[in-house]
Amino acid sequence: MRQARTQAFRQAPWRIARQSTGRTLLGLVVVLVVAGMYLAVNARLAEAGRELLRLEDRREELIRETSVLGATLADLTTPNRMLERAASMGFHPAHAKDIEYLVIEGYAPPSGFHAPAPIGSPVAQRGGLSPAYTETLAEWMVRLVEEVRGVR
Amino acid sequence: MTNQGFRRGRVYGVMVAMGLVGAGLIVQLIRVQFGPYAPVFDARERAGNARSERVRPARGLIYDRDGVLLATNGTMYYIEIEVRQLTETSRKEIASVLSKLLVLPVDDLYAQLTYEWAANGQFRIRLTRDDPLLGRLPIRLDTTVATVLKEFLADPLAPDMTGLDLVPTSQRHYPNGPLAGHILGIVNQEGEGFFGVEGYYDDWLSGKAITVERTFLPPDARLEPDPPAGVNLVLTIDADIQQLAEIALSEAIDESESESGQIIVMDPRNGEILAMAAWPTLDPNDYEPWLVKAEDDESAITPAVAAQYEPGSTFKVVTMASALSAGAVQPNDVFVDTGLIEVGGVPIRNWDYGAWGPQTMIGCMRYSLNVCLAWVSSQKLGASTFYNYLTEFGVGQLTGIDLAGEVAGQLRTPRHPEWTESDLGTNAFGQGVSVTPIQLITAAAAVANGGVMVQPHVVLEVASPQGTYRPRSVVLGRPVSPEAAQTLTGMLAESLEGETRQAAVVGYQLAGKTGTAQIPGEKGYDPKWTIASFVGWGPLPDPQFIVLVRLDRPKSSPWGSVVAAPVFQEVVERLVVYLDLPPSPAVPMAAGG
Repeated sequence: MRQARTQAFRQAPWRIARQSTGRTLLGLVVVLVVAGMYLAVNARLAEAGRELLRLEDRREELIRETSVLGATLADLTTPNRMLERAASMGFHPAHAKDIEYLVIEGYAPPSGFHAPAPIGSPVAQRGGLSPAYTETLAEWMVRLVEEVRGVR
Repeated sequence: MTNQGFRRGRVYGVMVAMGLVGAGLIVQLIRVQFGPYAPVFDARERAGNARSERVRPARGLIYDRDGVLLATNGTMYYIEIEVRQLTETSRKEIASVLSKLLVLPVDDLYAQLTYEWAANGQFRIRLTRDDPLLGRLPIRLDTTVATVLKEFLADPLAPDMTGLDLVPTSQRHYPNGPLAGHILGIVNQEGEGFFGVEGYYDDWLSGKAITVERTFLPPDARLEPDPPAGVNLVLTIDADIQQLAEIALSEAIDESESESGQIIVMDPRNGEILAMAAWPTLDPNDYEPWLVKAEDDESAITPAVAAQYEPGSTFKVVTMASALSAGAVQPNDVFVDTGLIEVGGVPIRNWDYGAWGPQTMIGCMRYSLNVCLAWVSSQKLGASTFYNYLTEFGVGQLTGIDLAGEVAGQLRTPRHPEWTESDLGTNAFGQGVSVTPIQLITAAAAVANGGVMVQPHVVLEVASPQGTYRPRSVVLGRPVSPEAAQTLTGMLAESLEGETRQAAVVGYQLAGKTGTAQIPGEKGYDPKWTIASFVGWGPLPDPQFIVLVRLDRPKSSPWGSVVAAPVFQEVVERLVVYLDLPPSPAVPMAAGG
């Protein structure tokens, strides 16, 4: 078989040239494919990065807007304003003599006000990133094996 | 066209297209290198691919006990100028627009825009304005003005404002203005809290700033962590009661023509401060003038915990409670008042310089007899016992209230080198001893609360990302026995129904004591001015509030019974409504009826 192939190349030397050209082209195609994939991945990464930066800015802007709206709402509902509004509607502050008190046995007054937790917490508490974005191939395989074995 | 000509045309077409693309690239390169934004690109290139940025979390919010927002964060904008982007036109138009919008001198703005900042290595500046009190301050814009400027920046037909940038920053905002301003304290432009709650809890409210790397390269962008947030606080203050106290105080100041004053409302059972009003009022949104005042008088911003004074007759509550608890006197023990007693060689007289004849201890308190109380302290209690009780009541010590700037007051005990025996007599009726309003109300609250003295506090709940925390009430001590406290409360209730009817409220049994204190100066006591006060609690027999009224230098009348007692009455009449305290007796009714 080997002898027959050698003989064929001797009879037609252009076959050698075509083979080397084919190998070079194959290598070039592989390089181009890898480069293309690299470029595509980087383009996606850059796009995601831009989106992330944009969303971070947007988040900060929304926090500022929420804060401003909260402050405006507080401005509109201050005790002083409520007193003025009540007065404009014909109400006046009640005195003890205006009120008839009834003691209702078993009545439980509503529980007091509880402040909301402050905005902003570490990334981990915001949900963070899926392991798919952070773990290495080895870590992924270890996790897969452990899941199959029911360790986690 | 021949086939060959067509091919040639195609080749030329591609060459022209490529040439145009190449020319475009060259133009863009020239624009980046030498165009108006060249300095910005240059600065960014020098800064590298990322910059370190100090990120501060939003300052924690402050609520009253019912959820009324007392302190929040708004957004303000600084005006920053990228000096290398300025053109001659934009300099003029920025100065002109800002001058009209903000009513600022155009010359001052133009001078800042034309100054050679770059020669000093400054390429980005923050525009400032001149403040008559505090010198030059950065110009800050509210959201309305900032929106107008942003529209100018976005509109190509608007004035040329090249080089101007609006930088948002968090600004503390107090929606209720001056309401509870003295309790809240202030926050400066750097976000640091001073005085009051803002000062005391500054570390907790401000959270923790962190440094993050802000990349300019999108592929390197990462989700940055938020800085650890500051806590939110719920105060024991009730905004409605605070407002009631502030209105009552304001009216009292007007009527009595007093110089200043305070009202404190507290729950004696747990030390919760329900209201703490002070006049003149402080609007923390506009705190700069108060910084100047505080330079002269450190107690100006938080007078309830820092403005010490000689309490006068309200201090007799402490003296008589001590004597009753020590068993030195009984309510019906008789003292014959001759109108004069000498203690340590110093003559002591009554407020009216009169002799009141035989008086029981109830009468001594009812008529507020200095001679009688000096007799009690000097001859019935003795220095050692008397000062031990005062120390137990916390006189001359910090109460530990969670407000910044508290002072301890002054008490000279026999161990003090300047103490004299006459102090034993004068201290009994509140002279020669200095207290703060919070100290006096805390001591009196011990009597109202059956002898148990609870630490006053203004924070009810702390909400952090880790969870919610409610500080417990702290018992400071039991200075007097429950029996003595109950007996004294009964004596004061009787006296309030008799001599101090200006403080009585129909349907509610209350106890209280007036005070008219002289003001010490460098040359002895001021002959003209007094500090009029009243401390009272109720409803008996299970007091749920205690109120202290203090009016400094009233002009209409110097007496606590005339100017301070009616203020107590006015406050309590409304307070019982807010606290849902029915007049006794109430009719029981079945649930669901």
